[in-house]
Amino acid sequence: MSIEALAEKARAGARLNEAEALEMYLSAPTPLLGQLADQQRWKRHPDRAVTYIIDRNVNYTNVCVARCSFCAFYRPVGSPEGYVLGFDEIFAKIDETIALGGGQLLLQGGHNPDLPLEWYEDLFRAVKSRYPAFRLHALSPPEVLHLSRLAQTTVPDVVRRLVAAGLDSIPGGGAEILVDRVRKLLHCYSKASADEWIDVMRHAHRAGLRTTATMMYGSVETPAERIEHMGRLRALQDETAGFTAFIAWSYQPEHTLLQGVEATAVEYLRTLATARLFLDNFPNLQASWVTQGAKVGQLSLAYGANDMGSVMIEENVVRAAGAAYCMDEIEIVRNIEDAGFEARRRNMHYDVLGGPVFRERQVPRLLELAVARADGHRSVPAELINYPARSRAERDRRTRT
Amino acid sequence: MKEQIQEAAARITAGYRLTDEAIGALAETRDILTLGMLADEARRLRHGTDTTFVRVAEVRVPLDDGARLEIPAAAREVRISDRTDSLTTLIPHVRRVVAAADGVPVSAFSLEALEAQAAISGRRLADLLAALRDAGADLIAEAALDQLSHAEHALEQVRKAGLGLARLTVQHTAGTAERLEHIIRARALQQSLGWIESFAPLGRSWPPGAPSTGYEDVRQVALARLLVDNIASIQVDWGRYGPKLAQVALTVGADDVDGVSPVDDTGEGRRRSPLEDIRRNILAAGLVPVERDGARRRVMS
Ligand code: SF4
Repeated sequence: MSIEALAEKARAGARLNEAEALEMYLSAPTPLLGQLADQQRWKRHPDRAVTYIIDRNVNYTNVCVARCSFCAFYRPVGSPEGYVLGFDEIFAKIDETIALGGGQLLLQGGHNPDLPLEWYEDLFRAVKSRYPAFRLHALSPPEVLHLSRLAQTTVPDVVRRLVAAGLDSIPGGGAEILVDRVRKLLHCYSKASADEWIDVMRHAHRAGLRTTATMMYGSVETPAERIEHMGRLRALQDETAGFTAFIAWSYQPEHTLLQGVEATAVEYLRTLATARLFLDNFPNLQASWVTQGAKVGQLSLAYGANDMGSVMIEENVVRAAGAAYCMDEIEIVRNIEDAGFEARRRNMHYDVLGGPVFRERQVPRLLELAVARADGHRSVPAELINYPARSRAERDRRTRT
Repeated sequence: MKEQIQEAAARITAGYRLTDEAIGALAETRDILTLGMLADEARRLRHGTDTTFVRVAEVRVPLDDGARLEIPAAAREVRISDRTDSLTTLIPHVRRVVAAADGVPVSAFSLEALEAQAAISGRRLADLLAALRDAGADLIAEAALDQLSHAEHALEQVRKAGLGLARLTVQHTAGTAERLEHIIRARALQQSLGWIESFAPLGRSWPPGAPSTGYEDVRQVALARLLVDNIASIQVDWGRYGPKLAQVALTVGADDVDGVSPVDDTGEGRRRSPLEDIRRNILAAGLVPVERDGARRRVMS
């Protein structure tokens, strides 16, 4: 089919198949892709609203046995740079988040063999008893899978236990590209195959949880594999309708084993626009200003995105790989309004909570992102002793101390 | 709004003047896709898919006494910047840079700084420019149309001194009206001068904490291409705005990339070639990279 015929099909709101979406991605002029995506975006969101959330991205540990080749964040077990945040440190971060008008933690971390399922249950319970209304958007599918392996129980059981402890929703991290050829090349097949990632999400949706879905593109995959990834997500969404949003972000090569170069801004906008056309059952598409910067992040609103993602209070993973963009609520709202939209604060379920917090009360300005821990802070949380250590390195450390 | 933009573009293409109302609508539109598409068409009519870029070695003067001055071999323009407060003492330094440039075009200083210095020192701008030319400089590095006291006169002096101008620039932009004013001013200057080859429409500095937005930048580049149709090249600065915005600018009317480093980045233990990077970005925007030098001559690679 010609690009014009495909464009007509998209304009009419008909579903594109994978081959058609690939053809559009590869060959449609960038402004045409943008216009088609923009039309679909307006059909879904005719009210001029662009949403964002105030939450805090907390990485509770950087110790990880998965060792994905695209990751600059993890440290191997026993590394002197490895850390686990203590419950008190996490509470302090929640206090800061609440002060900035936030109501949720996005909690993700490495696959640390010395943190058993009980540690997570205790943490979630402790958070919920201190902050009953506070939301926990936590543990991407590979982390859930890791816990099921550690605890030698099933994924539905892990999900059930975590929900009982306070889990509210699951972030779509760890998807990278849901094609096993790519996952093997990225050394992330063993942490979760494409089927396993999808399966965790299926169980989460069946358990009544809402989740997001991500795509890390621009590493070793082909354009066809990007579309295949979106195809897997679309199929599951047809089945469960459990995804709230799709977030595409470009692979950040600095400090990684895999190295390489970052995909360009135009490739990002084309990928985003194609996602808006192809993922016709996803209500929301987030702009990845964290990897693209504020300017291209704002331009995403013309290429299919209807959400500016999170007011980043803290970021460790993408920053470790070279990107360090920062926008506080004032900046995010300025960008939304400058593009002609109305800024609406939301929760993870995309329920609108209200307008900007800084217009209601004074909040501190955030001119740089916080980190998980200050440099040189090496303390080990006291409560860790309550949980059995699995790794030799951790057992040796405990013996020494 | 879309119809308004298309009608405005049709008038521009047909060589008609736009009404103030039509220009105002263009300057305020949030429909950056339509605007960008029209500007891209205008750019393709003029340049096709060719996208020029220049690798620039920045040299600050005064040079340290006795220090060896090495110009990276990949530089296609040597740009002298920094202090212009006492040009007479800097002229020997300019000579040293010109000698080290070994035939690579040399651009020097901003015209507004030279104009200001002339006013302070009581010397004629024409004399300062002549001194620069005699020292071997080929071009004035930039002229910010919002900073010059007598832009037209100062630019005429550049021409009379036998120097070129690397690019017409804008220093500050704040607000739609001011941005539009700059574009109209650039067009008017060229109407009376006729020899300006390149216009860089994005502000070179911005108030702390309030940088321009992506929409503003796209609109400014696209408007510059559509309205300043008497200047051949619309330029964007790679180093100043970063690869992401610079690449997007190339899809909405810009055709030339300034400020590409001539030196490989070996930071973080990883070699990165700016040449590979710029070519990759231009190709990924569906355009064809063409290297040029400071005198706008194409470099054969
Ligand atoms: S991406 Fe996640 S799972 Fe992979 S190495 Fe990094 S922290 Fe571990």
